[in-house]
Amino acid sequence: MKRECFAETGFLGAAVLSASLTALILIFMLFLGFPLFRGGCFFTLLTTPWNPDKGLFGIYPMLAGTLSIVFLSLCWAFPLSLGASALISVIAPTGFAKFCKKTVQMLTGIPTVIYGFVGVFLLVPFIREMFASGSGMSILSASLMLSMVISPTMILIFTDTFESIPASYSAAADALGASPVQKLLYVILPYSRQGIFAGLILSVGRAMGDTLIALMLAGNAVAVPGSILDSARTLTAHIALVIAADFDSIEFKTIFAAGLVLYVFTTSLILLVRIIGGMGMKNR
Amino acid sequence: MTENKSNEIKIKTVNLSFYYNRLHVLKDISVEFPERSISAIVGPSGQGKSTFLMIFNRLWETIPDARMEGEAFIRLKNKWVNIYDRSISLPELRRSAGMVFQTPNPLPMSIFKNISFPLKLSGVIEKQAVDEKVEFALKQAFLWEEVKDRLSDDARSLSGGQQQRLCIARALTLDPEILLLDEPTSFLDAGSGQIIEDLLLSLKESCTILLISHYMDQIRRIADRVMELSGDTSNNS
Repeated sequence: MKRECFAETGFLGAAVLSASLTALILIFMLFLGFPLFRGGCFFTLLTTPWNPDKGLFGIYPMLAGTLSIVFLSLCWAFPLSLGASALISVIAPTGFAKFCKKTVQMLTGIPTVIYGFVGVFLLVPFIREMFASGSGMSILSASLMLSMVISPTMILIFTDTFESIPASYSAAADALGASPVQKLLYVILPYSRQGIFAGLILSVGRAMGDTLIALMLAGNAVAVPGSILDSARTLTAHIALVIAADFDSIEFKTIFAAGLVLYVFTTSLILLVRIIGGMGMKNR
Repeated sequence: MTENKSNEIKIKTVNLSFYYNRLHVLKDISVEFPERSISAIVGPSGQGKSTFLMIFNRLWETIPDARMEGEAFIRLKNKWVNIYDRSISLPELRRSAGMVFQTPNPLPMSIFKNISFPLKLSGVIEKQAVDEKVEFALKQAFLWEEVKDRLSDDARSLSGGQQQRLCIARALTLDPEILLLDEPTSFLDAGSGQIIEDLLLSLKESCTILLISHYMDQIRRIADRVMELSGDTSNNS
């Protein structure tokens, strides 16, 4: 009895601790960013450009950089992941499907910095040669590499969704003579809509939170990008760059604004996934 | 069964054996089933009755570690075909040999879409042809009167017996020559079971029916012949 009681308290403590961490981080960010809030400065930060010489410390360029890299990387990664998971769970013969799935699982374990290296030494020169403009460090390079980083997780989420289709639906489609592709289009995909959407949103969060790829491949120029071949800086890269060079200046304060924006974005994405998941339970 | 009756035979197996990994479930079965009849398959659980049905639409092939020996033939449009011949188109085979499962398995879509699903799969898209086919299949399955005003409702909102007739109707949409039924009444109440028995008797005119059943009284009522699958041998009577 005593041991059970002990274990119960222990687990409760662990749960409370990890749950309160989320809240504590938010409080910490608000506290350190507080000077920015006075006088409504926070919201001007989001919309003004970055020009320290003129005393402008807006993070709008980083916001634009983040959004364009994330959006573009999803444009590459989403179709790729959908196709790969269709291949793994429906179309490919069992042996080959297993091989593909193992490979994808392995890809999720590769450190991001390795992808960054591959990008710097292979992708960036390629982009530079191909478009003959600038250094090759661009939104395009970063988004392509970032799509490689987020695809494996997305593929695994989609594969799980596709394979969770009730056996009776699968058997019904098979027994009526559906080809694998027909089964995918008419039964599995409609049934998996919510899972696909959830996987997509989680990947947006992942892409937004990634620091290293953009830091190594996007060039980090502090300007609102005009094309996908332009260099750009993301919120995460901005935090990393400023924190490495500086502490205690207005410049330094802006990283809390950047952090808060990221925090709010990713938290609302996760809440959205929860809501979708809840709707899914009701529909079934 | 003798040679001179072979023109009436619809389905036959030759030295059929089946294995799940090392488990030997069907042992050297050579059997023939005449057309336009209801043949009941009986026997204790775990003797491979469901597996035996899946031989004829090759549905077992998705099961890992399953293996078949021997041959199986069906006569489609008066031509004998080896079910396991490489040139056989699997979708076509499955459209000619419809299957109904123990648990009704409507797809998560409307009643109409469930019935028209096999038509969609085989590329029939002309609206009027689809409507006619759906109505005909539902009438054939004694379900039309009950659902004609609610065809757009979710099929899963039907009662168990209605769902099972829906599944039979769905299998009938493509005019199969063979119907494979795996204990279709075991989860239904007596009334719904009765309707399905009457339905099967009426379908006998156009289809060759293989029916797995645990109910001896049901078999006595509707089966023309009985095949018993037990431990070592299969007996025909």
